[in-house]
Amino acid sequence: MSVPTHLGGHLPAEHRLSPQRQYRELPMIGRALSDYPVKDLWETDFARLPAPLARQRRRARAFAERFIAPVADELDLAAHLPPGQCHPIAMDVLREAGRQGWLSYFLPRPLGSMPWRTLPYPPIWQCSLIVEEFSRACGGLMLLLSAHHLGAMPLLLAGNVGQMLRHLVPVYRSCERGEPHLVAFAITEPGAGSDAEDGHGAALYSPGVVARPTSGGWLLNGRKCYISGGDLAKSATVFAALQGEGMESWTCFYVDCTAPGFKVARNELKMGMRASGAAELEFTDLFVPHNRIVGGLRRGWAINRATLNASRIPVAAMAVGFARAATEAALEFARRYTLGGKALIHYQDVQLHLATMVAETRAMRSLVWQEARSAWQPRQLNASLCKFHATDRAQRVCEMAMDLLADHGGLHEQRVEKIFRDVRLTRIFEGTNQINRLSMMEDWQVQLLDADQPMGV
Amino acid sequence: MLVERDDLNLMLAEVGRFARERVAVATARPEAPLDGAAFELLSREAAELGILSTSAGEGGFGIWERIDQAESMAFNLGALRQLGRANAGVAFAWHRIALARSVAEQLALALDAPSVLGTTFVSTGHYGLARTSAARWLKGSVLDDDEVTLLADWLDRKSHATTVVAPRAWQALLWPVWSDGRIAWQLAHRDELEVQPCRAQHGLDELSAFLVRDVSSATGITLLDEGACRLTFGRALKMDMMGLLAIAAGALDRGQELAAGFSAIRRQGGKLIGAHAAVQQMLGEIEVARQGAEVALASLARPIDEIDAGSVAAMRIGTHALLCDAANQVMQVHGGIGYMREAGPEKLVRDQNMLKLQAGGTREAQAFLAGWIGDFA
Repeated sequence: MSVPTHLGGHLPAEHRLSPQRQYRELPMIGRALSDYPVKDLWETDFARLPAPLARQRRRARAFAERFIAPVADELDLAAHLPPGQCHPIAMDVLREAGRQGWLSYFLPRPLGSMPWRTLPYPPIWQCSLIVEEFSRACGGLMLLLSAHHLGAMPLLLAGNVGQMLRHLVPVYRSCERGEPHLVAFAITEPGAGSDAEDGHGAALYSPGVVARPTSGGWLLNGRKCYISGGDLAKSATVFAALQGEGMESWTCFYVDCTAPGFKVARNELKMGMRASGAAELEFTDLFVPHNRIVGGLRRGWAINRATLNASRIPVAAMAVGFARAATEAALEFARRYTLGGKALIHYQDVQLHLATMVAETRAMRSLVWQEARSAWQPRQLNASLCKFHATDRAQRVCEMAMDLLADHGGLHEQRVEKIFRDVRLTRIFEGTNQINRLSMMEDWQVQLLDADQPMGV
Repeated sequence: MLVERDDLNLMLAEVGRFARERVAVATARPEAPLDGAAFELLSREAAELGILSTSAGEGGFGIWERIDQAESMAFNLGALRQLGRANAGVAFAWHRIALARSVAEQLALALDAPSVLGTTFVSTGHYGLARTSAARWLKGSVLDDDEVTLLADWLDRKSHATTVVAPRAWQALLWPVWSDGRIAWQLAHRDELEVQPCRAQHGLDELSAFLVRDVSSATGITLLDEGACRLTFGRALKMDMMGLLAIAAGALDRGQELAAGFSAIRRQGGKLIGAHAAVQQMLGEIEVARQGAEVALASLARPIDEIDAGSVAAMRIGTHALLCDAANQVMQVHGGIGYMREAGPEKLVRDQNMLKLQAGGTREAQAFLAGWIGDFA
C-alpha cells in the first residue's frame, strides 16, 4: 500500500510552497535559525532533560512497553480478587519491576537503585518521568508500582538515618531481589476523606484511628479505607491520633502488616486502575514499638502534608501519561480507520481535534516538568495547582479521544475507555481537585492577606 | 388511538411505578449487572404492561408506538426518562427494540411478538454521522459524487463492521443500508450476519457490544420511494437521538438524587458537605444540566414530523455534554466512594459516556448540523 504524500488539506512536505523544504534552502544563518529536524514529539522533549534523567525516561518507557502494556488488558478485565490475593501476572510485573529498580529509586545506590548521576536533580522530577511512562501503559499497574513510593515517602521525609537503614533499606533490598516488599500510605478514614488532606477540615475532625500507649510502644485501633496497595503491602505508614487528643497529635507509625491485629477487611471494586487494590485496613490492638514512630510524636500532620506535596506532582504526571495514551490511541485510530475511502486523519475537523489533544497533553507535560525540575521542597501551592489542572485537563483529553472514536469509543478493544476509567481516579485521590484548589489558596493566604505585599501570578 | 393530555400523567406514573418497583429493584446493585434471563423476564413484563408493544397496528401506548401527536411524544420521552432513571442499560435496550418495531411498522415489515423483543436497531452507519452528507441527503440537496461515495461507504455493512450495543441474546437487527442511490433498510437475522462479541464495553453493563458485518447476499432489504426513504430515515434518526437524550436525562435524575442524598449525610470539615460552597457549586452544575435536559425534552414533545432534525442534533451536542459533566460532578461530590462500583456514580458516568457515543456520537453531529443548515456543495 502506497504512503500518501500529504494529509488531506495540506501540501506535500516536498512541495515548492512547503516551508519545511524551503528552510533547507535558506542561507546558512537563516537555515541555522529556521530549519529544524522533524522528530517524534516524545523524542523532542529529551532536549529539555538532563542526560541522567533522559536515560531513566527511556528505560522507564522500555520497561513499560515490555512488561506493563502487554498485560494491562488482562489485569483490567480480571475477576475481582479477595483481599491479600495478587494476580499472578501482577506479581510477575512486581518482581521484575523490583529487580530492575523501579521499587527502590528514591535512594541512591547502594541503599537504593537511584543512579548517582540523577542526584543533582529533584527525585520528584525523576519520579514524574517514570510515572508518566508507566501510566501510559496501564494505570492500574502504574498505581501498584507507585503507591509503594507514597507509602515509603514519610520514611524519606522524616525518618532518621537509623530508621532508613533499619526499615527502608531492607524494603528496597527485598524488592531488588525480586521479592516485592510493598509499603502503603494510610491516611484516609471512613469518616475522613478530605479531612485527612485539609487543615480546616482536620481541625474539626475526631480521629478514627487512635494510638493508645502501652509498654514498649503503642496499640492502634480503628480503620483506614481506600488504601492503594494496602491489600498487598507488607508494611504501611499509618497515621493515627494519640489517645484523648485531636488531629494535631497525628503521628506516623511504620506498621508491620503481618503483625497480629492488622487485617485487610476488604478490597474495593473500582471503576478503573483495577490492577491495583484499594483496601480497607482494620487495626485491633495492633502493637507498634516506639522505634517505629516516624519523625516523632505529633509530627504526623506535617509529614502527611509534606508527603502530599511530594506526591501531587507525580499524580499530575500520571495525568500526562493518560492524556498521552488517549491521544496516541486516537491518532492510531484516525490513521487506520477509513470513512468514504480515506483515513479519518485526512479530514480537517479530525486534524483540529487531534491538534487540540496533542497541545493539551504537551502543555500538561510542560507544567509538570516546570514544577518538578525545582521541586526540592515542593511547595503546596505549586503541587496542588499542578495536580488539579493536569488531571482535569487529562480527563478532557480522554473524553476527546472517546468522542473522536464515536460509536467505537466505548469498546474496550480500542483502549480509550480504560484510559478514561483510569484517569478519572486522579481527580479524586491525593485530595479531590476541589480540595487541591483550596489547598493552593491555603498556602497562598499569608501573601494574599498582606495588603502591602506585591501580588504576582 | 390518541393519548389525551389528562391520561398522559397517569400513563407516565404507571411506567414510573414499573421502573421503580421492577427495573430499579432488579438492577439495584450497580456492580452486579442484570443477567440475560432476568433481562428477558423484565422485557416480557414490560411487554405485558404495554410499555413495549409487540404487535403491529393495535393502537396501544408502547414506547415509540405513536409518534404523530405531541402527547404521544411526551409519553415516549417521559417513559424513557423514567426507565433511564431506573437503569440506563435496560432503557437503552428497550428504546432500540421499540425503535425497531416502529420503523418496521413504517416499512410494513411483519414482526411477530417474540421477534419484536429479539430485534434491535441501529440508526446510523459504521462511524459518526456521515459528516455533512447524511444531513444534506435528508434535506434533499443534490449530492456530488464524493458525498454519494461517502454515504455508500458509511452504510456499507459488508466492508465495515458496525458497533452494536444490545442485549446479549438479540436475534435480529434492523439498520439502514445504501441501496440504489438511497437509504434503504435491512432486517437481518443474526445468523445472516458475522457477529463478533466484544469484551466488556465501557458502560451499559446490562448489555453487550458486538462488531457486526453483513455476510448475506443483501437479503431483507426494503427500499421505499425517494420521499418515503427520507421520511423514514429522518424519523428514525430523530427518534434515536431523542431517546438517548431522554434516557440520559433520566439517568442524571437518579444521579442528582444520589448527590443530594450523599451531601445531606456526609460530613467534612465539621459540617455536612452540602454546606460547603465547593459541593454547592457542583450540585448547582448538576441542576443546570438537569434543567437543560428538561427544556430540551419539553421542546421535543411534538409530532415527529414537526421536529427539525437539526434542532435534535444541536440539543444532543449541548445536552449530552452537560449531562456527562454533571455525572462527573455526581461522582466528585461522593469523593472516593463515588469511584467504587457498589456506589452508583461511577456507573452513571460510564453510562452517560456510552449514551453520548451512540448513534454516531456528538462530535460529528456538528458536521451534521453544518450540512443541515448550510448551503454548499
